[in-house]
Amino acid sequence: MKALTENGVTANESVTPRPPAKRNSGFWKSVLQQKYLYLMSLPFVIWVFIFSYVPIWGWLMAFQNYKPAKTFGEQKWVGLDNFKELFHDERFYLVLRNTLSMSILGLIFGFVVPITFAIMLNELRGSIFKRTVQTVSYLPHFVSWVVVGGIVYKTLAIDGGIVNDLLMWLHITDEPIQFMAQGKYFWGILTASDIWKETGWGAIIYLAAITGIDKELYEAAKVDGAGRIKQAFNITLPGIRSTVMVLLIMNIGHLIGIGFEKQFQLQNNLVTDYSEVLDLYALKYGIQIMRFSYGTAISMFTSVVSVILLFAANGLMKKFTKESIM
Amino acid sequence: MNRKSTKTIFTLMLMSSMLIAGCGGNNNNAANNTTSNNTGNTPAASNAAADDTALDTSPFTISFFGGDASPNWNKMQDEVGKAITEKTGVTIEAEFDVGSGGGDQKIPMMAASGDVPDLIFAKGNLSTLVDAGLIIDMTELIDKYAPNLKKVYGENMGRLKYSLDDQAIYQIPTNMGVGQQAFDATGGFEIQHRVLKELGYPEVKTLADYEKVLKDYVALHPETDGQPTIPLTLNADDWKIMITVTNPAFTTTGAPDDGEYYVDPETYEAQLHYKRPAEKEYFRWLNGMYAQGLLDKDTFVQKDDQYKAKVASGRVLGLISQEWEYSDGENALKAAGKDEYTYGHFPVTLSDEYKDHSFMQTGIDGYGLAITTAAKDPVRIIKWLDWMSSDEGQILRTWGIEGTHYTVNADGKREVLPEISDGLANDTANTQKKTGIGQYLIFGARYGDGVKDSTDNYYTTSFPDQIVASYSDAEKESLAGYKATTWKDLFPKEDEFPIKETGALYNLPVPTDGQYQVIYKKTQDIIRKRIPEAILSKPADFDKVYDAFLAELDKAGAQDMEKEFTELVKKRVTLWTGKTF
Repeated sequence: MKALTENGVTANESVTPRPPAKRNSGFWKSVLQQKYLYLMSLPFVIWVFIFSYVPIWGWLMAFQNYKPAKTFGEQKWVGLDNFKELFHDERFYLVLRNTLSMSILGLIFGFVVPITFAIMLNELRGSIFKRTVQTVSYLPHFVSWVVVGGIVYKTLAIDGGIVNDLLMWLHITDEPIQFMAQGKYFWGILTASDIWKETGWGAIIYLAAITGIDKELYEAAKVDGAGRIKQAFNITLPGIRSTVMVLLIMNIGHLIGIGFEKQFQLQNNLVTDYSEVLDLYALKYGIQIMRFSYGTAISMFTSVVSVILLFAANGLMKKFTKESIM
Repeated sequence: MNRKSTKTIFTLMLMSSMLIAGCGGNNNNAANNTTSNNTGNTPAASNAAADDTALDTSPFTISFFGGDASPNWNKMQDEVGKAITEKTGVTIEAEFDVGSGGGDQKIPMMAASGDVPDLIFAKGNLSTLVDAGLIIDMTELIDKYAPNLKKVYGENMGRLKYSLDDQAIYQIPTNMGVGQQAFDATGGFEIQHRVLKELGYPEVKTLADYEKVLKDYVALHPETDGQPTIPLTLNADDWKIMITVTNPAFTTTGAPDDGEYYVDPETYEAQLHYKRPAEKEYFRWLNGMYAQGLLDKDTFVQKDDQYKAKVASGRVLGLISQEWEYSDGENALKAAGKDEYTYGHFPVTLSDEYKDHSFMQTGIDGYGLAITTAAKDPVRIIKWLDWMSSDEGQILRTWGIEGTHYTVNADGKREVLPEISDGLANDTANTQKKTGIGQYLIFGARYGDGVKDSTDNYYTTSFPDQIVASYSDAEKESLAGYKATTWKDLFPKEDEFPIKETGALYNLPVPTDGQYQVIYKKTQDIIRKRIPEAILSKPADFDKVYDAFLAELDKAGAQDMEKEFTELVKKRVTLWTGKTF
């Protein structure tokens, strides 16, 4: 086998001794050399293929008027009708606005807060205290949104909610504020609860990155007279830059597909104009009323936009910061 | 919290799997259908040799999905359940929707994946399954194998037909009894017994009366057990907004319950009931209640479980609801022995000129059981349902087992054992789990309250004496204060209204295809958003908000939807009465 390939390659080279062919041979050579690694990754490739690529076939539904009881051949093709309807629905733009607003807020605070938190934790000396803080702060990550929803409602309640009690005690307001009943507060409440829940968890990866920074750099900086704040800005932050960039690019790819779990738990009838996101819209106006084709059109739209965002972010980062994931 | 979280986790799991189901599932779905359609057509052949109505008692499992939550379901390990299995060999492998689901999330998914249980109680979502070709026509099965079902439905058989264009029988209505006479009122406006007692049993007929009662009492007792008293709270979580916020708008203004519509009894023209000028006045009243601080500030923010917890705390003076909607909360009060915190029912109307139509009879027209194409042996299922609908089956379902749950006295009258009736009234959950009484009501046709069997006994356990016997002392005291024996005595009676030709229109199957559903969904979104907004707005702005709301409905296409619904109503009238238009 090996001999055969090598023969083929040499024959190839003698005809067209060009780099492409050579790279090709190199590729197969390394496959052969690393065959166990390839074998080990095969199950995951198959997994991704089945769960991420095979369902794309279902996108065809977006161009049909899909009826569950019929076979594929019997479905009626409607061309772009579903997309036309989608782009003509006012509600679609409203939910798109909500989706983007909440995800951009989430993106900004979801980066700044955990990074700051990680750096602050890193500066702590007492290891028992540090570990306790870290554990306590990432525990909320394991709490379900259902429970978090209940906690948020209780905290912001008008009779006995701690936030209103505090505001009244400090005389900032005279009357309790009905936070959950006003759309203008919804994005803020959602982002804040998301941060409460995910900061500790998000900080873990940055803490790990920070431990990878060479300690000698800090010592050198100390010798040069840099204080702790200077060290944080000039050593720690640049040290975790590549981690931050990778995560940032990946999160930008997810901007539009933020799911609907938190919105679903925190919303009520009064704030739906601010709380409804794309996925919820697809559920309500697609699947719940048997318009599978319409639902598919929406998910197709989100997938396409996500891919574009991902590549755009990657391209921009590559150009300006030389960091990228592809 | 616990139940709520299970509900939501469950919903979320379902939803997340939905896209996969929606995208990839069509292949095997189609396959499923072809095979199961065959099963649907051939059972007669496979069982032809067997005696047509003889009951096979070999072990048999029926998978089932119920659109209503059944928290006390004990997997048939209760006494009645064991008796059913013993007599028929059948075990139901049941799954019920959780919380206030109503099957709205699960059933569309079943339709999409083709993955249905054998038997389904689909509530308002039946047409989804019918349109997906997943429900079998029972006409022939009933004719051949179900003498008891035929007997119970009798002249109502015609009403089981699905529609004028599709006269198949897809479901047998089992959530209501045939010939039902209500002995008691369980809806209307509710007031706590302690309030009635202290205020000396005031007359409660109009919204103004009701408002005054709540206002007077809260002024006297601003606190209940150390917490602020809540004069009135409503439950606006999800579809329950219809039960406690929007439906009362038509009950107080003299219209019968036709779901989201008001249908003119003469012309059968349908319109969204919010468009009636009288209902605007009802919402204006709620707006006023809010402005005065009588309507709980959390009303439109709270979730179902928070609402029930409030009811259970005993600090809510008044409700506008149906007993089944708040009974979880009230049962907790009963279990704690706080009977004075439970509620009485009043037929409150906007003003004297209106009459509460709660007791207008619709005739047989309810939600029920449907057999799906997934059922391998529909004949066995229909025979089982027929047994459940026999006198023996009905009495087992409603009364329980002779000797264990009821006795027959010297006059041949059935009597529920005192410990059972006491348990059902005061410790409902545990008693139901143990005995199984009340857990199998939807599994078969049944006669309603007030119908007697061949032994001159009532089929159901609620007859006038029984109802009075189950009242708590506080309740009896309140009723005595109004010189009534049951709450129903306060309401306009059945015979004051003609039987509705159109049936209960909230059950009318609507098209699942095309624009109707989209418009309906849009109008629902608008209603659930704008009605709370109108109620919470400043009284001076109310008209503006409400008129904008009506305009928004029409902009979303409400008129087209109303026109389509009118057509459906007319078709139903033709199907049932032979009238033509």
